[in-house]
Amino acid sequence: MTRRQFYTGVISLAVAGVIFILPFVFVLLTAVKTKQDAALLTFSWPVEWHFLDNLTEVLRTRNYMLLLAYFNSTVITVCSVTLLVLFGAMVGYVLQRRPSGWNKVIYAFVLAGLMIPPAVVPTIWILQSVGLFKTLTGMVFIQVAYGLAFSVLLFRSFIATIPRDLDEAAIIDGAKPWQIFFRVILPLLKPVTVTVIVVQSISIFNDFTNPLYYLPGRENVTVQLTLYNFQGQFQTQFNLLFMNILLVTIPPLIVFVFFNRQIVAGMTAGAVKG
Amino acid sequence: MAKVVLENIRKSFGSLDVIKGIDLAVEDGEFCVFVGPSGCGKSTLLRMISGLETSSDGRMLIGDRDVTHAEPSQRGIAMVFQSYALYPHLTVRDNIGFGLSLAGRPKAEIAAKVEKTAETLQLTHLLDRKPKALSGGQRQRVAIGRAIIRDPKVFLFDEPLSNLDAALRSQMRMELTDLHARLGATMIYVTHDQVEAMTMADKIVVLNAGRVEQVGSPMELYNRPASPFVAGFIGSPKMNLYEGAIAAAEGCTTYGIRPEHLSMSTSEGKWKGTIRHIERLGADTVLYLDQPDLMSIVVRVPGDAELALRQEIFVTPVPGKEHRF
Repeated sequence: MTRRQFYTGVISLAVAGVIFILPFVFVLLTAVKTKQDAALLTFSWPVEWHFLDNLTEVLRTRNYMLLLAYFNSTVITVCSVTLLVLFGAMVGYVLQRRPSGWNKVIYAFVLAGLMIPPAVVPTIWILQSVGLFKTLTGMVFIQVAYGLAFSVLLFRSFIATIPRDLDEAAIIDGAKPWQIFFRVILPLLKPVTVTVIVVQSISIFNDFTNPLYYLPGRENVTVQLTLYNFQGQFQTQFNLLFMNILLVTIPPLIVFVFFNRQIVAGMTAGAVKG
Repeated sequence: MAKVVLENIRKSFGSLDVIKGIDLAVEDGEFCVFVGPSGCGKSTLLRMISGLETSSDGRMLIGDRDVTHAEPSQRGIAMVFQSYALYPHLTVRDNIGFGLSLAGRPKAEIAAKVEKTAETLQLTHLLDRKPKALSGGQRQRVAIGRAIIRDPKVFLFDEPLSNLDAALRSQMRMELTDLHARLGATMIYVTHDQVEAMTMADKIVVLNAGRVEQVGSPMELYNRPASPFVAGFIGSPKMNLYEGAIAAAEGCTTYGIRPEHLSMSTSEGKWKGTIRHIERLGADTVLYLDQPDLMSIVVRVPGDAELALRQEIFVTPVPGKEHRF
């Protein structure tokens, strides 16, 4: 490492630290302060540590709303991501492996799904007419619909790297199309599946606007919405608001810290022949 | 075991005819090799026999059963791919037993058959490994095991040795020949390597541009090639072929003489040439001569001939070994 590389490295790390670490440290410190201490909104060491008190108070607020929100968010995230992986892989497989005149049309729809912003009001009309408005099931379908285009693209480009010989060997071995997919292709999609799971679960878990539009109602609250609800209530209690932020941020953060290698691996697979 | 019969088989991709009407019979228990240059349609023809490609026209019989429109798994064939096509996420055991497990056979039966197959191919100690932990030759044997266990009537091989190094390739050639002798199954083997074709085949089918140029035993093709194409394709170094005035003087349109059928002399002979290049192989020496009328002659002489570059020598065709087309 040359001297120049060393200094650019140190400077980059310092900049990244200021941008990414400092705000988090600020949230962490404010979350454990007392009400008065936090009201000053200063970047200072807490006078007293009130971690457990603040934590239990946030959890108890509005009849344990945060726990209900965790439950709802988890259900939505797990169901949506499962469907996204399954459908994304299936559509990607068919698009990649079975050339037909329809492929271009389907592909155009997939790209449109990435580019065209969703129209909220008509979507709500549709949800109401099929009786899925204000239901977790409806929310799952919305998340699947919004995330499918991206998943299909990722899966499709990854499947392109799996040699076609494997499909053909399975055909000769007597596999039916669904057996080829589930027993040969799907197990080989592990790297890109991890990427899809991580990226999509973080974005679905962190989603604020879609639950706000499509999932109103006290019993339907999701974690990001608790923040919105608490904001009014905790206007004068920044320590509790920041504790809430901390609790909402931690799960996706943990996922990201553990899986960031796989995210990159799945994203770049297919860029060069492996 | 079964006879494979192709009747006027054709294949076109759009307006492009790849296979232009092939009639062929591969006898029961025969080792038949399809050979030809790249793009001649040999792999396509094999894939059509396997059922992975459909035929545009014609009829195909395997063991007296019409399989023209049958699914690959219904044809009683097994195929070994050039890339081996082992399932990377399965162990050797599961790779070999995959077909049986798809067919929903009892676990005990699968285990017993896998063991037996592995024994035949000396793979027993590797059964729990994944394909990435195997060498090229071992992968090849697993691919063959996956074919054997299905007990097929016909084995299809698509250039199975081309990813191996030279030493391993010659060893696998022998193993495959032994396997053929042991199983007595019909085998169809595609290669562009004429050495593989000559050493392994009972019958060679030379393909060129989607047509059969000649069918015959290796020695028939070597001794009596039907066309200049076959003459040039079979044998290494390839036959010297001449057209124009030289061929006309010999009373034909193409005149051919193999490098090993030219006798060399330093004093007299039919053609006088200057040595441009020498390849010493130990057992014999290959000479490339410049000759004013013929342009170039390749000669193969036994042993390590004491010759030098730009030396002038004479060569004469061995009587009865000339080919006139």
